[in-house]
Amino acid sequence: MKKQSYGMKWLSVEVVVILVGLLFLAPFYFVLTNSFKGFAELLVDTSGLPKSLSWDNYARAWEVLNFPRAFLNSLLITLFSALCMVVAASMAAYRLLRHPSRINRVLFSLFVAAMVVPFQAIMIPLVQVGNWLQFLNSIPGIIFCYTGLGVSFSIFLYHGFMKSIPLEVEEAAVMDGCNPYGIFWRIVFPLLKPMTITVIVLQSLWMWNDFLLPLLVLQKPELQTIQLATNTLFGQYLKQWDLALAALVMGIVPILTFFLVLQKHVIQGITAGAVKG
Amino acid sequence: MKRWLTSQPMQQSVFLGPALLVYAIIMMLPFLLGIYYSFSDWNGVSSQINGVGLQNYKTILTDDPDFGRSLWFTARFTVTVVLLSNVIGFLIAYVLSKPLKSRNVLRTIFFMPNVLGGLLLGFIWQFIFTRSFSAIGQATDIGFFNLFWLGTENTAFWGLVIVSVWQGAGYLMVIYIAGLTNVPSDLMEAAAIDGASGLQVLRHIVLPLIMPAVTICLFLSISWAFKSFDLNFSLTQGGPYKSTESVAMNIYFEAFKSNRYGLGTAKAVIFFVIVTIITMIQVSITKKKEVEM
Amino acid sequence: MRKWLTVISAIMLTGSLLAGCGGKEPGTGTSSNKQPAGKEVTIKIMNFKVEIAEQFNKLKEEYEKEHPGVKLQIDTLLGGDDYNTQLKARFASGEMPDIFANEGYNQMDAWLEYLEDLSDQPWIEHEVDIAKEPTLRDGKVYGMPVGLEGLGFLYNKDLFAQAGITELPKTLSELEAAAQKLQAAGIEPFVNHFDTWFGLGFHNLNNAFAKQPDPNAFIQGLNDGTASIAGNAIFQDWTKMFDVVIKYGNKNALTTDYNTQSTLFATGKAAMNQGGNWLQPVIDKLNPEMNVGILPMPINEDGDLNDRLFVGPANNWVIYKDSPVKEEAKEFLNWLVSSETGQTYLTKEFKFIPAFTNIKAEPADLGDIGAGVLEYIEQGKVLGWHWSKYPNGAAPEFGASMQKYVSGKIDAAAMLSEFQSAWDKMKSRK
Repeated sequence: MKKQSYGMKWLSVEVVVILVGLLFLAPFYFVLTNSFKGFAELLVDTSGLPKSLSWDNYARAWEVLNFPRAFLNSLLITLFSALCMVVAASMAAYRLLRHPSRINRVLFSLFVAAMVVPFQAIMIPLVQVGNWLQFLNSIPGIIFCYTGLGVSFSIFLYHGFMKSIPLEVEEAAVMDGCNPYGIFWRIVFPLLKPMTITVIVLQSLWMWNDFLLPLLVLQKPELQTIQLATNTLFGQYLKQWDLALAALVMGIVPILTFFLVLQKHVIQGITAGAVKG
Repeated sequence: MKRWLTSQPMQQSVFLGPALLVYAIIMMLPFLLGIYYSFSDWNGVSSQINGVGLQNYKTILTDDPDFGRSLWFTARFTVTVVLLSNVIGFLIAYVLSKPLKSRNVLRTIFFMPNVLGGLLLGFIWQFIFTRSFSAIGQATDIGFFNLFWLGTENTAFWGLVIVSVWQGAGYLMVIYIAGLTNVPSDLMEAAAIDGASGLQVLRHIVLPLIMPAVTICLFLSISWAFKSFDLNFSLTQGGPYKSTESVAMNIYFEAFKSNRYGLGTAKAVIFFVIVTIITMIQVSITKKKEVEM
Repeated sequence: MRKWLTVISAIMLTGSLLAGCGGKEPGTGTSSNKQPAGKEVTIKIMNFKVEIAEQFNKLKEEYEKEHPGVKLQIDTLLGGDDYNTQLKARFASGEMPDIFANEGYNQMDAWLEYLEDLSDQPWIEHEVDIAKEPTLRDGKVYGMPVGLEGLGFLYNKDLFAQAGITELPKTLSELEAAAQKLQAAGIEPFVNHFDTWFGLGFHNLNNAFAKQPDPNAFIQGLNDGTASIAGNAIFQDWTKMFDVVIKYGNKNALTTDYNTQSTLFATGKAAMNQGGNWLQPVIDKLNPEMNVGILPMPINEDGDLNDRLFVGPANNWVIYKDSPVKEEAKEFLNWLVSSETGQTYLTKEFKFIPAFTNIKAEPADLGDIGAGVLEYIEQGKVLGWHWSKYPNGAAPEFGASMQKYVSGKIDAAAMLSEFQSAWDKMKSRK
């Protein structure tokens, strides 16, 4: 990178981008400030700063939601679903791309087509299937569901990205006597790292925030995720926004940390990734 | 390594097997069941499922202006959101792939809107539109803020677009950044040395090279916008006068609130066919433009 | 906990092993969560009200103490609005509760074949008449009302006094006069939230159905085509009341949401809003000191017809016909409304207005609004809730037409004819 390239031009660009960024951040002002207000203060004076910096909402939300348990459930579900998706989707995309037989082209279209099916349209049959195959009301069961629901999108992402990985690398590996599975896991998969991280980040986010699937599939209180637990604060007529916002902040922090940690790797991918070949 | 293990059928099932299995059970089977129900008058719980042939489809095509209206809303919404969120998402990604000092923080900031979801997203934005905007409007007298936000068809439409773009741009940014990491920087530097302007580099070098990312992002944003449900549900409830009711909402209400599961799934099938055709066209167009490195 | 580990590791192993050679297909997650069979029986109850979840758990302890061998499992459904969706999911998953809630009327159609006939239950003789209709089908009773709720205009007693309103309005002209007085005193008369179809299509429009000389005959007439909304005098009167509410209400009603409305009302920024005793907990949180009452919603000058609140059962308990513990479930429901403990919980903890004549509620326990509703019930000045008799899907259409009317896109005649066509369209849809 040339040092002198950061001059006035980039400085002004940077200032503009920072301003736009602040604009993007504005709604979080409401989230954060209101999470410290009592119910009445929150609804009466939503835009002001909280009168006092009380952690009361957080303490209560922590307790009411049984936050540690909900957090652990959400974490297990999100983490393992993302891993399953990565494994299943990267392999599938590799095969679909490197072996584009007629049947594989059809399969790829099928996977892609699934991305446009609204979840609301399949949710009742899904629960029926879940009942037949007994994957309801368990953490592995919902991981299985998420893998199935998310695998299409993950395949789609990998498929698009893999095209830029040069074949020569694999050909060289064949010469070295690697079997197809070894080639994939030892050579190709490491090259996919930027996309793998992208898949993990995007899918985790969706699952972390998802409400409808856990609502249908996890019917036992001890399996509640953060999203489900937060919804116990919403009655038909009385919605406890004060606690819900505190719960929201507590739920955001882990996923944001996750993103912060991983996005550095997206950038490291520049050097480790496909470009090398 | 045994020969049979590396045979093509074995490779096919090892590589594709897991994905195909979960996909078949979680997506395909329920969807096929749904198609089956779409030919019935099932209400969602009854033990009686009577076949009604194509009656549901006929009802939708001949006697359901609401479905048509939600389809039209969804189409307009999709086009607008797809264009805006991709342009903005790409621009942010492009700028943030430059050596800006604060780019790591900024990436996180632009991504942050995605961590808000569900009812709370609607709650926050409803407040911003109906109260903060009018407060800013009174203070500054800028017409934009004095509009009757969410109260008219137009402002409700654009309100949804604004929130969707606000969320979507940062999401697409992540994929564009992943795509941009594939553009060799020496290529861009070489072009710059040859005297190409920034815009020329963008158009003739960067864009062709990140076409895979563009394909992904376009498709992705199309599929979301088409399926849009949560935001409409929490921000406008489809109002005013159902003008912002998305197809997914229309299906949900028909199937669950009105207890017409058969009719609801028939809508889903019709919608699926329409969206599949559109996305197939889109994918085949952008695919042609992709450049292999 | 061990189970998920095996499944996950199976899936992960598939991935990692393959790097070497060979592999397996991932197993599907399996688990079964059946109750262990023993002497003890468990009644699974699906609570419909998040607000009373805590109290319900206390009730459970009391009941289990009094009834050894019987366990209650209280499941509170989330989100409030999606009770039916979740119930359908439970049903599809083969986990039907033994006791659940149903609103009755056409909401009962789908479930009817699964409901236990409760006609022989002892509590029926004490049930107030207005609560019976929703779950009555072919002469059989299928549900037990959980409690009554009353709908009308909530009003701020202090603001009314401040504006010099001494006589509560009982007719439309009196209502308008009160609104004018409030306006003259610098008080916003109404705060409306017209952002959703719910309060409009259900609660507001119910007025016009309930005040028909025979609402059921009228609705029957709409269904068989002998009656019509468009030319109906009561509907036309109702539009005049709607006009008053709009004219003397907040200008941005279409963008005012439920939160904003409740806040404005509870903090004294407006004197009246449409609502019912279900708003009491919200008001208690926002402004516990508030002096609030409930008024009828007059549509014309008929004093007797208009001095009535709209009262109906908030919901009804029903029993799953194929439940293995349905006798125990019946016993529990009976205990709830006949034992002293059960009755105390209903009125003091759940704060329900009792739907049974043998349960005495203290006005102080119910809060201001509930006490007001109770008074109307005791005087018999009540009309029914009819929105569950609309054809499925009609209420959102009504709400949408009313929103158009509020925004000035259509006139009253067009609104009524849109109601008519929405009714006709939805009734024919099977």
